[in-house]
Amino acid sequence: MGIVSFVHRITGVLLFLVFPFIIYLFSLSVESQESFNSARQILNQPLALLAQIILLWAIAHHFFAGIRFLLIDAEIGVEKSRARLSAWLVIIAEVFTLLAIACVVSL
Amino acid sequence: MSFYVSQGLKPWVIQRVSAVYIVLFILYALVSLYSSETIAYATWINWLYTPFNTVVVGIFLIALLLHAWIGMRDVVLDYINNSVKRILILSILISVLLGCGLWVFKILLLSVAS
Repeated sequence: MGIVSFVHRITGVLLFLVFPFIIYLFSLSVESQESFNSARQILNQPLALLAQIILLWAIAHHFFAGIRFLLIDAEIGVEKSRARLSAWLVIIAEVFTLLAIACVVSL
Repeated sequence: MSFYVSQGLKPWVIQRVSAVYIVLFILYALVSLYSSETIAYATWINWLYTPFNTVVVGIFLIALLLHAWIGMRDVVLDYINNSVKRILILSILISVLLGCGLWVFKILLLSVAS
C-alpha cells in the first residue's frame, strides 16, 4: 500500500527526468526525413526498447496509482482494508496494461 | 475559506485538472495516430501540424508542465527543509521545466512558420 504510493512518486520523478530526452527525440522527428529516421533508429536500439518498456510501465503505474489517489480524495477507499484492496487493484491493472501493450507491440 | 486553505487548494486542483487533460490527450493521440503500419514522416508531420492538433499538443504540454511542476515541488517540500536549499532546487526545477516548454513551443511554432 505504502509501496504503491512510493512508486507513484518515483515514477513521477522518473518521467520528469526523462522528459528532456523525449523532447529531443520529438525535435528530431519533426526536423527532416533524415532526422526522423535517426530518431526511429535510436528508438529501435535494444537498450532504448528496454527503456521504452520501463517508461510505459512508469506511466501506467503513475496513472493507476493516481486514480487511486483521486478516489481517496473523494473519500472512496480510505479505510485500511479498502486501501489495501485498491493498492492491489493498481498492481493488477498495470500488469494487465503491460501485457496488453506487449501483445499489441508483437502483432 | 481562509487564505491559507485556498493557497493549498489551487495547486491541488491544478494537478488534478491537468491530469485529466493529459489522460484525455493521450487517448486522443493514440486513437487519431493509430495505424497498423509504422508511422511515416509525412503522416506524422501532417498530423502534428493540423492546426487543431498543434493546439491540442500545445495545451498538453502546458498541462504536463504544470502537473510536473506541482508534483516535483511536492517532493522537494516533503524532503528538503532548508529554505536556501529549497529555493535553489525549486529554481533549477522551474528552469528545466520552462526550458523544456520553450523548446517544444519552438518546435510547434517555428516549424509551422517555415
